[in-house]
Amino acid sequence: MTVADTRFFAQGNVYLPHIAVIEKIIEETPGVRTYHFNFKDEKLRKEFTFESGQFAQYSVLGIGEAPFCISSSPTRRDHLEFAVQKVGKVTNALHRLGVGAEIGFRGPYGNSFPLEALKGKNLVFVGGGIGLAPLRSLIWNVIDNRDIYNKVDIVYGARSPADLCFKYDLEAWDKDKTVNMVTAVDREAEGWKGKVGMVPKILEETAPPAKETVAIVCGPPIMIRFTFPVLEKLGFKPEQMLTTLEKRMKCGIGKCGRCNIGNIYVCRDGPVFSYAQIKDFVSSEY
Amino acid sequence: MEQKLRQEAKALLEQNKVDWIIGFEPGSLKFTATPLITRDKDDTGRLVINPFIFNNLADFLTGIKGRVGIVAKGCDSRSIVSLIQDNKVVREDVVILAVPCPGLIDLVKVEKLVGKDRDELDDITREGDKIIVTVEGKKKEFATTQVLFDHCLACELPTPQEYDILLGEVRSPAPNVEVSGENIKKLKGSVPEQRWEFWENEFSRCIRCYACRNACPACFCQRCFVEETEPQWVMPVPRWQDNLIFQIVRNIHVAGRCTDCGECERVCPVNIPLRSLTREMYGIVDELFSFKSGMDKEALPLMAHYEQEEAEDLFR
Amino acid sequence: MANKKVSRQDIAGLLEQWSQQFSVFVPSKESGVAAMTEWDGQDTSFLDWYRNTVVPSKASFLPPMEEMFHFQKGEEGYNIEPPPKTERGQLLFGIRPCDARAMAILDMTFEQALEDPYYLAKRNNAVLVGLGCTNPYESCFCTSMGTSPTESADVDLMLIDICGEFLIEEVTDKGKELIAKTNGLKEAAKDDEAKAKQSKKTAYDRVTRKLDTEGIKDRLLASFDDEGFWEKTAAKCISCGICTLLCPTCFCFDINDEMVKKEGTRFRSWDSCGFPLYSKMPMENPRQEKWRRVRQKVCHKYEFYPMTFDVIACTGCGRCIRLCPVNWDITRVIESVPTKTGVKK
Repeated sequence: MTVADTRFFAQGNVYLPHIAVIEKIIEETPGVRTYHFNFKDEKLRKEFTFESGQFAQYSVLGIGEAPFCISSSPTRRDHLEFAVQKVGKVTNALHRLGVGAEIGFRGPYGNSFPLEALKGKNLVFVGGGIGLAPLRSLIWNVIDNRDIYNKVDIVYGARSPADLCFKYDLEAWDKDKTVNMVTAVDREAEGWKGKVGMVPKILEETAPPAKETVAIVCGPPIMIRFTFPVLEKLGFKPEQMLTTLEKRMKCGIGKCGRCNIGNIYVCRDGPVFSYAQIKDFVSSEY
Repeated sequence: MEQKLRQEAKALLEQNKVDWIIGFEPGSLKFTATPLITRDKDDTGRLVINPFIFNNLADFLTGIKGRVGIVAKGCDSRSIVSLIQDNKVVREDVVILAVPCPGLIDLVKVEKLVGKDRDELDDITREGDKIIVTVEGKKKEFATTQVLFDHCLACELPTPQEYDILLGEVRSPAPNVEVSGENIKKLKGSVPEQRWEFWENEFSRCIRCYACRNACPACFCQRCFVEETEPQWVMPVPRWQDNLIFQIVRNIHVAGRCTDCGECERVCPVNIPLRSLTREMYGIVDELFSFKSGMDKEALPLMAHYEQEEAEDLFR
Repeated sequence: MANKKVSRQDIAGLLEQWSQQFSVFVPSKESGVAAMTEWDGQDTSFLDWYRNTVVPSKASFLPPMEEMFHFQKGEEGYNIEPPPKTERGQLLFGIRPCDARAMAILDMTFEQALEDPYYLAKRNNAVLVGLGCTNPYESCFCTSMGTSPTESADVDLMLIDICGEFLIEEVTDKGKELIAKTNGLKEAAKDDEAKAKQSKKTAYDRVTRKLDTEGIKDRLLASFDDEGFWEKTAAKCISCGICTLLCPTCFCFDINDEMVKKEGTRFRSWDSCGFPLYSKMPMENPRQEKWRRVRQKVCHKYEFYPMTFDVIACTGCGRCIRLCPVNWDITRVIESVPTKTGVKK
């Protein structure tokens, strides 16, 4: 359960968005953009805090609202970031916005990665496609507090070189000697000299040891479904596997009923879950 | 009729001529029948035919896989034929069990006449041309013109023309257009401003449950226009303007497919007189195109084909 | 302290007094369907009604549509305007115990952090004056769901029909305060209390529909993956929203924006888990098949809500049974949930 955070209500109303301004747009892939933004209100800009794993509801006022994780790290607060894949009405509208455009922001909502439990552990990040977005918030968080954590492996893959998101992060982590970066694409591609294969297979090859390790997995549902068995084979227990789930959301605060899996709401009790929790969900709907 | 129905339905399943039987069984409330959709031959013993078999079972055909033995009143069979015209149903995949229909009893009319809710009535039976309602031990007699549904009073095809098994004696149409068209006549007798006010009032209580759309066999779109977001044709917010637009466009979309089965009006939980719109559209279709829906399975669907000789300057 | 009572002809006077402080709502068919409507200042014919409305009382606190806020796009960017605060609270006169119990069940969701300001602003300023049913529908089964036609636990005041008069049970402090400053009431005599007791029993006995909910939570848990059972259960459902939109304990809502030129509104409106696109995501729809949606509805009410709040999200008002186009009956469905342990993943 998340601790109710009423500090960032606009005008005392949880449903009112704050206004934020887009400062930078990065075209990650033809269908995915990262937005750098900051709140219009000076005070909020300074005071706003969040934790890795949390999400927010972003509005294009007049078109609608959609949930995206906050993909920047709480340790790097000169701006905030989120990544959007173009799939429907709201995301199409977001992709039409340019630098200087205003968006609405409601958040931070949801729970976060359990940093306390990760202290002193080895961390294995497993990401696919745009699934790297919530992970990168935690990865930079970890790198900025490097001493607290032990060994760090990052296994990331996408369909093709063109589909790799956050290439600038991948380069930086590749150069960083304190982390082990493994990047792959699903199939052979011209000019690609890195690893080839689906992420679960690459993970199996990388074979991180399970002792004192926590795996954090995020990507398309099918990737996650094939990753858990690999981790199990490597000796990871369900409590040692974390993931973030995605569901259609509207209110983001556990009221509208939409994002439920059994008796839990992904917006309120997640989006971060351990595999142990997922196995015990009363509904197989995820 | 019921005996024959049960026998035939059971035989169809036993002989593997169909995968499903769709019919009616007694409901869980008084004067109610509920759809029975089953693969189990033992369930066929529960099939009934009574004055309360309201549902248009053709509604279930587009959502079911396999061959179906389906109970059909006249209006239902026209819906089935209309679906065949649209290639949504293959004729060989349905076995139509035809019920010659004497018209069904509108419980709302009965409630208004008797002044009591339906569950407070002891019994409702049909005796020839009369409907006998027993309430608090006393019998009250009504003429069929007083208590049958408006669409039943206007019925142009009580007995299916297209069928495989006939379950009773053929009934000929005897439409009473006067009685059945009273509401529409009243509306057409008023000026547009009054009609606008009338419909604003009616649609103010629509809650967008979409029962009218979902109960209609002619509404078989996988994704209804109200569910489109790009562009957002209609807001999913129940403002009377959006509700009215939804219903008007729905009427236009089902024009030529609507068989005046009256389900849309019956299922509406907030009593919007939807049939006033659908019946009027039905009349316009007949007037403009001399076309009655669901009569000829070889006919092409009216609004989905175009003859070169059609005299529309627009298309020259 | 003795209860008060009021005679039928004095009720209009009561409502008039209360109209000074509250917006009074009464059951009415004025809109074309039985719903709680703002009192017109005269009509008390609803006192003859002995059963519930079609539109549930939740519409008073969670209306079919609601404007969440307005916004304008100006030279300087967007400006967001919260909705105006309503000055007067609502007084719902004639609310039935099933709807009042449903309100208490809804409160659990909307009061839980993070609180819903729109619902609570209306709810916390409202007074519920209940009216006991004297002749429930055949579809009513409130007595099986922990309430009754004359239950007073969830209202501020409860009126019990004692033939030409109504006994007034003062339940909450809010109710007591209201009665203390109301004129036109009489003291109830001992045999008024006896009449009320009889009236309650008669109404209770008139509820013929029964449902045994013993162990339903566990039975549903065990049957969750029994696809065959759910396919059969869902076969005749037509996926409209009647049962959920008109259910007093259902609360799913949708949020949509509309903008015309430079002005816009964010709306909240009733939604239903029965609709096919309710939980659709860009790449997949977890509840594409009808049986999954029917399962969700049944399990949310009889399994998930009890898991979180220890109460079944159903008060036996019977609207879903009465108004369903195909007579899909929740009581029959609950009875048919298998008792043997199913296959659980």
